[in-house]
Amino acid sequence: MKVPLSWLKEYVDVDLPARELAGRLALTGTEVERISHAGLPAGDGNLNRFVIGRVVAIEPHPNADRLSLCRVDTGGATAQIVCGASNFKEGDRTAVCQPGGMLPDGRRLEAAEIRGVRSEGMLCSESELGLAAKSAGIMILPEDAPVGGRLVDYLPVSDDVLELEITPNRPDCLSVYGVAREVAAITGSRLRTMPVCDIKPRGDDNVEELVSISVADPSLCPRYGVRLIAGVKIRPSPAWLKARLAAAGLRPVNNVVDITNYVMWTIGEPMHAFDMARIAGRRLTARRAAAGEEITTIDGGRRRLGAAMLVIADGEKPVAIAGVMGGQDSEVAAGTTDILLEAANFDGRSIMETSMALGLRSESSTRFEKGLDQELVPQALAMAARLITQIAGGRLVPGQFDIRAKPFEGGATHIRPERVAALLGVTVPAAEIRAILSKLGFKVKKEGSGLHVGVPSFRADVEREIDLVEEIARVFGLELIPPSLPSGMRAIGGLTEKQAATRRLARLLAGRGLNEVITYSFIGGDFAGRLRLGDDDPRRQAVALANPLSAEQSLMRTIMLPSMLMSAAANLAQRNFDANIFEIGRVYTPLKGKKLCDENEVVAGCLCGSLRGPSWRGNGPEPDFYAGKGLVEAMFKELSGWFAVDRTREPFLHPGKAADIFVDGSCVGHVGEVHPLVLRAFDIDRPVVAFEVLLEGLIASSKGIAVFEDLITYPASFQDISVIVDEDMPAADVIAVAGDAGAPLLHSARVFDIYTGSQIGAGKKSVALNLEFRSPQRTLTDAEVDSARALIVQALEEKLGASLRL
Amino acid sequence: MNIDLKGQLKQHPGLAAIYEEAAAAIAAAGTEDALEAARVRHLGRKSELSRLLRAIPEMPAAERPLVGKLGNQARAALEEAMAGRRQALEAAALEERLAQERIDITLPGEPFPGGRLHLITQTLWEIEDIFTGLGYRIAEGPEVETDYYNFTALNTPEGHPARSLHDTFFIEGEAGVLLRTHTSPVQVRVMEKEDPPVYVIIPGRVYRRDSDATHTPMFHQVEGLAVDEHITMADLKGTLEAFAKSMFGAERQIRLRPHYFPFTEPSVEVDVSCMICGGKGCRSCKQSGWLEILGAGLVDPNVFGFVNYDPDEVSGFAFGMGVERIAMLKHGVTDLRMFYDNDLRFINQF
Ligand SMILES: [Zn+2]
Repeated sequence: MKVPLSWLKEYVDVDLPARELAGRLALTGTEVERISHAGLPAGDGNLNRFVIGRVVAIEPHPNADRLSLCRVDTGGATAQIVCGASNFKEGDRTAVCQPGGMLPDGRRLEAAEIRGVRSEGMLCSESELGLAAKSAGIMILPEDAPVGGRLVDYLPVSDDVLELEITPNRPDCLSVYGVAREVAAITGSRLRTMPVCDIKPRGDDNVEELVSISVADPSLCPRYGVRLIAGVKIRPSPAWLKARLAAAGLRPVNNVVDITNYVMWTIGEPMHAFDMARIAGRRLTARRAAAGEEITTIDGGRRRLGAAMLVIADGEKPVAIAGVMGGQDSEVAAGTTDILLEAANFDGRSIMETSMALGLRSESSTRFEKGLDQELVPQALAMAARLITQIAGGRLVPGQFDIRAKPFEGGATHIRPERVAALLGVTVPAAEIRAILSKLGFKVKKEGSGLHVGVPSFRADVEREIDLVEEIARVFGLELIPPSLPSGMRAIGGLTEKQAATRRLARLLAGRGLNEVITYSFIGGDFAGRLRLGDDDPRRQAVALANPLSAEQSLMRTIMLPSMLMSAAANLAQRNFDANIFEIGRVYTPLKGKKLCDENEVVAGCLCGSLRGPSWRGNGPEPDFYAGKGLVEAMFKELSGWFAVDRTREPFLHPGKAADIFVDGSCVGHVGEVHPLVLRAFDIDRPVVAFEVLLEGLIASSKGIAVFEDLITYPASFQDISVIVDEDMPAADVIAVAGDAGAPLLHSARVFDIYTGSQIGAGKKSVALNLEFRSPQRTLTDAEVDSARALIVQALEEKLGASLRL
Repeated sequence: MNIDLKGQLKQHPGLAAIYEEAAAAIAAAGTEDALEAARVRHLGRKSELSRLLRAIPEMPAAERPLVGKLGNQARAALEEAMAGRRQALEAAALEERLAQERIDITLPGEPFPGGRLHLITQTLWEIEDIFTGLGYRIAEGPEVETDYYNFTALNTPEGHPARSLHDTFFIEGEAGVLLRTHTSPVQVRVMEKEDPPVYVIIPGRVYRRDSDATHTPMFHQVEGLAVDEHITMADLKGTLEAFAKSMFGAERQIRLRPHYFPFTEPSVEVDVSCMICGGKGCRSCKQSGWLEILGAGLVDPNVFGFVNYDPDEVSGFAFGMGVERIAMLKHGVTDLRMFYDNDLRFINQF
């Protein structure tokens, strides 16, 4: 909402400079986006160089046919000015820019020789002064313009403009007068009365007999007012009106349209003027649109209307989308003489829905959708009727329509000073509460130990005591509230087990060299195909957005891998080759018969680059399955848990170099090399190892708090053995058999070498184990260790057909 | 002892001469080999000293004790000198070898791989740590949310003008289901489950249908909620001041500006004094000296109505902040979109 300062000052006696006023507004709840300047630049005496002049004489330019040489009285002096326009005559008053004057577009005028004749200034057109987009000639001022006076004292051609952001609860401040009321309250300045006064109608006809007005849907149109002005002359607006609208950022159209906009900007009520000659059947009805009805709005758009939308229709068709925009067919134009002036109150929600459905927002709809004061309807009609008859001529036809379901009943509430203190944490004296509320337009009177507060029609947002507390807080001054901490605080803060685990895992993976990424939770609809998911793979059933920004962001992910691969691919494309990344995020799984889906945290990552980082000493090993598995092992260890593996069944992984991860028999994730076809689908040209583990799985496997085990008092004994087994025998089987046979003295068995080759023959491999024997009660004897080792070797031979490699 | 020995040796000039010669040879040995040669020559079996000591039995009885005593003392002293000299020579040889083992100390070190946490995560944790320190727990909730929790129960019924400001993503095929536009719905879920007092913060992902230089369709918020007996606007102010000072530095100030949110009343926006110019005014703070960091207010009694809290018994405050904004201000990040490009050249900086 742009509020030109000089316009504001018509209604409130405030002397503060723009910047100070803006600061005060900001701290009391009206955000000032910026202070801009409209029209002629101020400062440096520029405004003194624009004066009102009277053309004393016009002579032809001696050296140019199209130019004339004018002598202009600028108050006590006469200037010789060369002019190219021809729309004026001797005696006309106009705006003179004297040498050194700077125009709104930044051009500076200097005295100059024009075709050999000296010109001491310029006669200004409206466009040069920023009042119109185009002008046919110079601006002719009325007879009352004081010759020699500064232009700015006669016309608002230079103004500071407060650009305000009005919150949706305060539609009353979407008007200059509303802002003036606010300014008066927060600065203690005097507020002038609303610029609304009725004029006397003329004539012996009556609008109630000339036209028929009805409201078919009072729920969407609680109040509908119409007045008729006959015999107007449509012309461009006078300069002062153009200047006002231009400073507010509105485009001048013609006098009648400009006045309706001026009224809207002044008091906040959007209006519409219909050309009565173009209203079929001389009737207007506020009704819902019929299915299939269309209208061409004044912006030239063809709009298809829906049955929920309120329209204003004449005897044949819609002539306006109520509260949103008028129709082109009935708009006021050059030949219009009789106008039906509409001011109404429309249901905010209906206007918002219509405006959203049509994708059409206007100054009118943005006001109506917030819910406007019904009392503005007669006020706007009176103000517009007076201005139109003054500026466009014509007469106000007797009679009026003011159709409403029920008259306005003022709201009321109460306020207790002790409640104010209890909520704000500072005592505001009752007298000050009274003063603040009164200045804001509330009617306050004593009631018991508190105050009874009558709510004015323009403050429908205030219904409850708490709403008044807010009014008091903001005007009293939030800066006067002393900071404190909750006095009864007896809560204990901290992280849940899951939150703590998440942090530990993130730190672990970062410590292992992976960089954390945060990717969008939505992915493209083609993910299932790119991952080669089977037709019946449940992960194909994703939560879909009804209004995605793009096809690539249309589904909530059911698996993290696509996000990881896209992020890796983007980094590889940027030559960030060590793209080893992870993310802890959610996957979203629809639940049959439930509105909301399951959201599960997943730890996912992928390795594409060296595990060592680039170094002049070599880049270290490229990631492979075991690198991924090592990370998964580290994650489980971090939470004191463990897991089992099985060969993967995931279609997007290498069938031989990947594993599914199990905790308590349930699959909680996978780790392994990504299938080459999947990599191709994501434009990745190097091997990638990926892992993805449900956080719940990691936590479920956790044994909880670590409990001390004495590994220090008694030393361990270590023995190495190598056994030859079939090449496809899983190492885990060897360890399991050794573990069973070596119990209870065998503490651990660790594979430290795998060998295949000619020394042991085809189809075989050697598994070298480092065995650690220990007892918590004593130091083991050699004989004990030897016999345990013998039992292990025997079991491996008997159960796995292994032979000891010597 | 050595000086003492030298004095005593005057009683036997022959022995003294032998001792002086041997000591000089040990001291002069410049290498371990030379030292060994000196040992053989002066302390070996064939050395003059050994011969002299061996000849003692043949000496007159009166001389024997003196020569025996002085000879053995001289031998011990020479052996000690020998050991000392050997140690010195070994140390010198080691130093010489080390001096030759020079490497280029300007080359980079071993790149023990160290990844970074995303700046959003670091910022979130920092915020979480401040509030857990103040006694808050961390609550979580669904991102795919119902209209009821995201809007209605937050005093934003259907048709409320504030709804249109949210640019909501809706879920296909499920009426009234959407991606949460703020973390505030979790407020309601927490209050439905728990009785006051409630002190929680709610971090998480939120979504709005907007994508340009200053908007990403997904971003992060931290919501805070305190409900207890006697919670006041002053408590809100003090809590947020504590937060701002922890997050941005002890010298920071905050100010509250009245604002409007449907689910708080009174509502405020909160500015922190600009950490770039110290409040004097600069480009980042648009010359105002203040930077907006969050929205807050006292919980609207209507919200308590939805969760069956009695607004006459308890009051509360709520606040919400954008994590990206906090991170941008604190670290000078200029483009919001970089958070989600996940380029390692960005991530590795923090
Ligand atoms: Zn600054």
